[in-house]
Amino acid sequence: MTAQDGADVEQSLLTLVRKLATGGQGEVHEVGGPGELLFKRYLEPQKVDGAALAALVTLRQGLAPAEVRRLDRETAWPLCRVLDGGRVVGFLMRRAPDAMSWRTGKGDTRLIELSYLLRPPKAAWQAVPQPAPAERYALVVALVELFGWLHTLGLVVGDLSQANVLWSLDPGPAVHLLDCDGVRITGRPPVLAQADTPDWLDPKAPPGVVSIDSDRYKAALMIGRVLAQDAYATPEQPLKPLAGVLDERRAAAVGRLWGLAGGAYGTRPDLGQWRTALAGRDTIKLLAAQPAPRPVVDRSRFDGGSRRERGTISLRDTP
Amino acid sequence: MQILPFYLLCDESGSMAGDNVDALNTTLPELHHEISTNPTVADKTRFCLIGFSTEANVLQPLVDLSDIEEVPALAAGGLTSFGNAFRTLLRCIETDVAALKAEGHEVYRPVAFFMSDGIPTDDDWPQAYKELTESRFCPKIIAFGVGDAEESTIAQVANFRAFIQQDSNVSPAAALREFASSLTRSIVRSASSIAADGGSDFTLSVEETVPGFATVSLDKL
Repeated sequence: MTAQDGADVEQSLLTLVRKLATGGQGEVHEVGGPGELLFKRYLEPQKVDGAALAALVTLRQGLAPAEVRRLDRETAWPLCRVLDGGRVVGFLMRRAPDAMSWRTGKGDTRLIELSYLLRPPKAAWQAVPQPAPAERYALVVALVELFGWLHTLGLVVGDLSQANVLWSLDPGPAVHLLDCDGVRITGRPPVLAQADTPDWLDPKAPPGVVSIDSDRYKAALMIGRVLAQDAYATPEQPLKPLAGVLDERRAAAVGRLWGLAGGAYGTRPDLGQWRTALAGRDTIKLLAAQPAPRPVVDRSRFDGGSRRERGTISLRDTP
Repeated sequence: MQILPFYLLCDESGSMAGDNVDALNTTLPELHHEISTNPTVADKTRFCLIGFSTEANVLQPLVDLSDIEEVPALAAGGLTSFGNAFRTLLRCIETDVAALKAEGHEVYRPVAFFMSDGIPTDDDWPQAYKELTESRFCPKIIAFGVGDAEESTIAQVANFRAFIQQDSNVSPAAALREFASSLTRSIVRSASSIAADGGSDFTLSVEETVPGFATVSLDKL
């Protein structure tokens, strides 16, 4: 069993080594065998949309090899579904990189969640590395690149929060998205009813609606909260990035987008705009494009040389 | 910020000496560890430890658990005054709620986990209990009884949920470890449903069953 080919796997073939975590929707087990894979087993498999989960597996299979490597590096993407007697009960995924865990004073390991980037360090989690300002900036850029890429793949992430993103500084700043079965293909239903996290709700999205635009709002929260080291910052207040993270030009551009992110549903800045703002580039206002000159029609081609009187049909709306 | 204060009231009367007090003192660092390493939970909750026997003592005033590195240990001795426990709890809650509000926080109704291994030795405790439950900030009380605790008394103390140790299945010390684990899970799960701005509904999460304990029905009484 490799899980690489995306084919469904029978639960009876899995050797569960130990349970790592229990969440609201399922349990995560370590699976024996090659690849150090994890098995997310749903608590209520009867509520799972098996076709939606299959679509996520198929999407990975359809990517170019370099993109598959990137997806596997930056997300815990569903590799294949796990079935029990024909019913979908969960899926296999990769374990997050070791560098994205920290060891507590008692010796147990915890994931390095985004939450540790969002407030000043405390003694209780002093073993979590603290990014230098340049590393914090690089982590934000990595987040923007990841969410921007997922959007170009036609995906809606849905539940962006401090618990669903891991990060590390070793060997370089990197991020990793968890709970990818919460991701949906645009316009299609999710695998399970959408999960939401308090403090990460889009107040202006229609109730129950999850879209590219609500993703953009939540991504803005994530960008702003990491830059400001403030777990509860919202666009209702001006952003106060930590000293040294952004230069003046970037801070101005990011601050402008932060304000726009608080705007009406449907108008939030996209990830490309954040990328530009974080790159410190000015934007050039483009003038409305001039209509292209109309091609000269060689009528003789249609009429085979014979001369006919043809009028023209206006394709514009009559005023 | 929306804050949910938790108060732990532990019986430290003479009968708790030995394994029982040891079990609680061993589990408190685990509770602290679990919450202090989870910044989202620590932000939204506060914790206070009250030990009661003949007197009641605030061993750890209400605090963000990620701000402390040690806590006074429980030490057994003396009688079992429920009345002093409830009077001390009421005094703490009134002071703490005012202090949190002065810091700009909004405060959810406090939650009190009450644990005793015996029967109260003061006759007038129901009066102190009445003052507590009729106060403006009456907490939600979850009561646990181990050892010689009587089911009817524990049910009388609780206003949210009550548990009594199952006689032969487990030792009081083992039951106390389960009690502490259940309290920890309650803090973590409750905090996970709190939005900092109070914008979403918050649910107090208290388990309906706790290993080693039988759930006492409050409806019958």
